[in-house]
Amino acid sequence: MDRRALLKLVALTALSPRMNALQAAAACDMKAASATSSAPEYKLQFFSEDESRLLDQLMEMMIPADSHSPGAHAAKTNLFADMMVATSDDAVKQQWRDGIRLIHEEATRSSLAEALRKASDNEADPKTDLERFFALLKQMTVDGYYTSETAIHQELRYLGNTYVMSFPECTHPEHHDP
Amino acid sequence: MSKSEPFDVCIIGSGAAGGVMAKELCEGGAKVIMLEAGREVPHAEFLSHRWPYELPYRGLRGEKQAPFYQGDISKSIAYADSDNVGMDRVRVLGGRTLHWNAVTLRYAPRDFKEWSLQGVEEDWPLSYEELEPYYDRIEQIIGVCGNDDHLEILPAGKHYLPAIPWRCSEHILKRATSAMGIPLIAVRKAVLTKPRDNRPPCHYCGHCMDGCDVGSIFTTPDCMLPKARATGNFTLRQNALAREILVDREGAAKAVSFIDTQTRAEQQVEAKLIVVCCSTVESARLLLNSRSPKYPMGLANSNGIVGKYLHGHLGNSVSIYLEELRGQRPSNQDGATDHVYIPRYNHLSGKSDIAGGWGMQVNYTSYMFPHHAHRLPGYGSSFKQNVRKMQPGYLQMGSFAKVTAVAENHVTVDAARVDANGIPIPVVRFRFSENDRALWKQANQSMLEIFSHLKGNVFSSAGDAPTGFASHEVGTVRMGKDPRTSVLNSYCQAREVKNLFVTDGSCFTTSSEKNPTLTIMALSMRAADYIKEQRKRGDL
Repeated sequence: MDRRALLKLVALTALSPRMNALQAAAACDMKAASATSSAPEYKLQFFSEDESRLLDQLMEMMIPADSHSPGAHAAKTNLFADMMVATSDDAVKQQWRDGIRLIHEEATRSSLAEALRKASDNEADPKTDLERFFALLKQMTVDGYYTSETAIHQELRYLGNTYVMSFPECTHPEHHDP
Repeated sequence: MSKSEPFDVCIIGSGAAGGVMAKELCEGGAKVIMLEAGREVPHAEFLSHRWPYELPYRGLRGEKQAPFYQGDISKSIAYADSDNVGMDRVRVLGGRTLHWNAVTLRYAPRDFKEWSLQGVEEDWPLSYEELEPYYDRIEQIIGVCGNDDHLEILPAGKHYLPAIPWRCSEHILKRATSAMGIPLIAVRKAVLTKPRDNRPPCHYCGHCMDGCDVGSIFTTPDCMLPKARATGNFTLRQNALAREILVDREGAAKAVSFIDTQTRAEQQVEAKLIVVCCSTVESARLLLNSRSPKYPMGLANSNGIVGKYLHGHLGNSVSIYLEELRGQRPSNQDGATDHVYIPRYNHLSGKSDIAGGWGMQVNYTSYMFPHHAHRLPGYGSSFKQNVRKMQPGYLQMGSFAKVTAVAENHVTVDAARVDANGIPIPVVRFRFSENDRALWKQANQSMLEIFSHLKGNVFSSAGDAPTGFASHEVGTVRMGKDPRTSVLNSYCQAREVKNLFVTDGSCFTTSSEKNPTLTIMALSMRAADYIKEQRKRGDL
């Protein structure tokens, strides 16, 4: 029985106090987590190897690994970007092609860190193509990272998307209306 | 073209209205056939519990809900000369009951009397008191959690299931609203908090809108169709897209012509009585596409009202990340999406120049994704840390405000524009009124004012102009007192075609700030009682 089927059983048998199905579900959860690591290797569909490497570096600078959790590199956010752009319309593809070129040129003149800093200069109101590319890059990095297994479970330590028998309500008197 | 044996009743559409109608009429002894343009999506096919990284595009392209938008339903609509409004039309057995947040609110007595009390729009042809017994009955059948809060603006039933417990952020919000004199109550939802009717209680996964895989939330396939089937009087025809309603020489409805979307074959089903429950846009489309020498402008449309008075809800959303909860240890906050509700309160401060009000739903968006990561400036380690620490303090609020019903806002059909089955598609024309715009601004300001009494980072999603209709569109085949400005009588019966009923949201005369589904079901049940009575007397 897979985890999803077992968790559903937990919900359907919520009135059976003797059933220790939540523990069984947790064990199943661990099994499912280890099983997902054997995904087939992703092949680039849009970016070149060089472009993808550059994107990987940029995204890791946007959301880096730290003592709390891995960053965008470990979450393979650049591969997510490749898949999303490859399945977008031509205008979007062109924006990415041009943006990667622009930031690469800027990095050649200074450094990648400096190019990214310059691109982010007017985040609230971008004025140049490089600055507009930063918005695109950030959106993709945020989308890719925070929907990854790495971010959901290790960075945010999200505990939901499960079946519980009662909702864990607020038990902090200081939060309540006096 | 094939024909079947005639049925007593043909119901077109299997959503909230169609489900109630099928159950009630089958239990009343009628032989009923239901035509549904979509097909059933069994619980096992729901994607609600999938992790984003298990979905092709991480769920960012609507993959979780894609099974509910079958065929070309998303594409087969056009907008002409319109403000920013969208019609949320699904095509699946159960309709939007598979894809709703289940907020279940009664209209108040004043909501039926806009003309008498506000001098705008029209009064409904029925009162709250006439609908109240049906609210009572339907709430007990579907199972509604919540409390009787003794509010005139939000009448309550007497048989609610226990309310859903609150999150930390909701208690903190209550602290603020109490200080401001604004009521905040436990939400009323068609979600089970106790087992009922062979359905388990909610397991608090937060996926109400993606399809409830155990049937704790009310849906037609889980709650109404089993009861209809149990009578032995029910026939379901899936993948059956209604093209037009056919009439006899006297102008009575006699059959429905439909396309089998799998074979593309056109078929007919005959019935003594036809009930249209296709939703606001599709029901108008079907009547307008049902043209004949007797009804050259469309069925039941000699006064030209079918398709007119399209309206719904104004939408607004604001979020805050509470300082008080910053950096807290992560906890499972998914719940049943909304747990609390702020009922309309602008009427309490006396007569206003602006008609209507708004209610506020709270925390109906996902807790899995840190939405603020798109809005926080910067990048790097501090950005990442900030996103993480703010996430436990997430509190989101959305206002749903009344839109005024006016004849100029309408759905039409254009014979030159057809869907994949050759049926003319609906064309929507909608402009917000001055009243709508003013109300939208007030609703937005009210949410920001509430949040100004809390400490945290606020992000408003409101742009420069209102949007609609938050999946709550109503009003294109309206009931009314005046035959010149309405299509239906108070029993959802077409005045021109006595054996034709329309009981979905399109039958609304006007809209209030409340979510419409409970009222749709109550009206459909009332119409079903009327049909049963008339059938007994031999009048239908």
